[in-house]
Amino acid sequence: MSIRFPLLLGAFILIAGLGLSMMLADYHLRLLNLAVISAIAVIGLNFAFGYAGLISLGHAAFVGAGAYGVALLTTLLAWSPWLALPAAVAGTALLAMLIGVPLLRLKGHYLALATLGFNVCFSIVAANWIEVTGGTNGISRIPELQIAGHALGNERSYLWFALVVLAASATVAALIHASRHGRAMIAVRDDETASSMTGIDVPRAKLAAFLLSSVYAAVAGGLFACHMRFISPEDFNYAHSIAYLAMLVVGGEGSIVGAILGALFVTFLPEWLRFLGSAYLAFFGLFVLAILIFLPSGLAGIRRPASFSRDGRIKTLALVGASREARQ
Amino acid sequence: MSLLQATEVAKRYGGLAALSDVDLSVGEGEFVAVIGPNGAGKSTLLNVLTGLVLPDGGRVLLDGWDMTRAATHKRVRGGLGRTFQHGRPFARLSVLENVMTGAAIQSGRSELDLRERAMAVLDQMGLAADAQAPIESLSYGHRRMVEMCRALACEPRVLLLDEPAAGLNSAEVDQLVDRLTELRGKHRIAIVLIEHNMGMVMRLAERIMVLNFGCKIAEGTPSEIQSDPAVLSAYLGEGYRHAGV
Repeated sequence: MSIRFPLLLGAFILIAGLGLSMMLADYHLRLLNLAVISAIAVIGLNFAFGYAGLISLGHAAFVGAGAYGVALLTTLLAWSPWLALPAAVAGTALLAMLIGVPLLRLKGHYLALATLGFNVCFSIVAANWIEVTGGTNGISRIPELQIAGHALGNERSYLWFALVVLAASATVAALIHASRHGRAMIAVRDDETASSMTGIDVPRAKLAAFLLSSVYAAVAGGLFACHMRFISPEDFNYAHSIAYLAMLVVGGEGSIVGAILGALFVTFLPEWLRFLGSAYLAFFGLFVLAILIFLPSGLAGIRRPASFSRDGRIKTLALVGASREARQ
Repeated sequence: MSLLQATEVAKRYGGLAALSDVDLSVGEGEFVAVIGPNGAGKSTLLNVLTGLVLPDGGRVLLDGWDMTRAATHKRVRGGLGRTFQHGRPFARLSVLENVMTGAAIQSGRSELDLRERAMAVLDQMGLAADAQAPIESLSYGHRRMVEMCRALACEPRVLLLDEPAAGLNSAEVDQLVDRLTELRGKHRIAIVLIEHNMGMVMRLAERIMVLNFGCKIAEGTPSEIQSDPAVLSAYLGEGYRHAGV
């Protein structure tokens, strides 16, 4: 793959998003903003889960770390959001490094449980460290983003900004996918022993995938904080981690296009199915099950040859996660 | 001075001595075969050499570098290559991408460079036509060749082959023998071969080491091994001498 696909992907996101932003009403623009922000987080999760096979159930904690980083730096220290965003992303990457070095020694379900535990810890700290995080009241009055003196105050202008970030994120992800680093991550998921026998530093490739995934999560978290201008611990509890995983599985793990489609689909599905009322979650559970059984490579796999078969064991875990979410 | 040298390597699993004080030395460009009955410790020896298993005693040197406890990927970067018993190509990467993963052994190579190097290896091994194919579309024999290409793309000085002929038909075995002969002629790669196909071993090996119950019971040229009484009783069978393979 050359540089053409990543650039085309970025351009397509911009054009399609711009078109949508002109057609939709304010409420749907708000949903689309949330979907675009989720898509950035899910592209990140795709590095860890889709490529390197690291089952992370703590992705929402990294989204939260980015969001709280931006919120704290802008409200407590009165930093500009433009300065707070990169600082929060760097801080989250550091956190992921500290967490990842010990946790990535674990495999499979053990790693899933450990990352889930990390997410629960994050929520407890965010809810109880009241002097800093405001506890369950959260942090409000996060300043809005401004570009050249123009505030991104309404949904449409914010969406344009978010689309640019999404397009850039997807392009960079596609470039990494097509590089030696992307191949190394995919090789590690396929066969760790054979990877090391091909000269790949397996622990390092895993840590790189985990760090990349946390960086994308932190970018999404920062955008979320600036968009909502109010955050609370509930926005980042482990149910959100499972939702990100469901988005990736529905869209098609291992695929950047799939990550974006999954985020869009899972965000808008409740709207389309509003007539189902409280039966929606049960339907969603069945829907994810149907995807796993009939479309094992997700929405993005509809056009892909069946030769890209999937690891059934990892699927089952995602399935358990989805059903747990449906029960909430 | 030999290129790859294992001295008094020992490995125990509980009460079982998988390897007891085994010595192996492979010179540059040399072709050494390791034979022996199932469970003799052949694969354990390869695992110790590649660092997938750490030995309880002994040392492993690669061109004078003590790599007894070094991580596997560092040994590979130091010039050690290996293929696995049943072939383990990366299933989610194409043939070309598999081999490019090996070519990335040296950092700083551009994507174009990696692609060209990988294509050169595939070409040499007769797989260039399958470059874009997904692994699953290949036959068992071809998959094993992809793995061999991936190992070669790492530019090894010593290549360890774990039963490369297992599961191949006789035409494929002949082809494999030709490719291995060609490889040695061109690149002076030293090869350590574990194999049960005695026809192949006797045709290729300059030196043969025989393991039984984790001990080296004989070492010598193919003709010496074929007439060694200990080897005949432990592995080849008394009829072997007269079969004239």
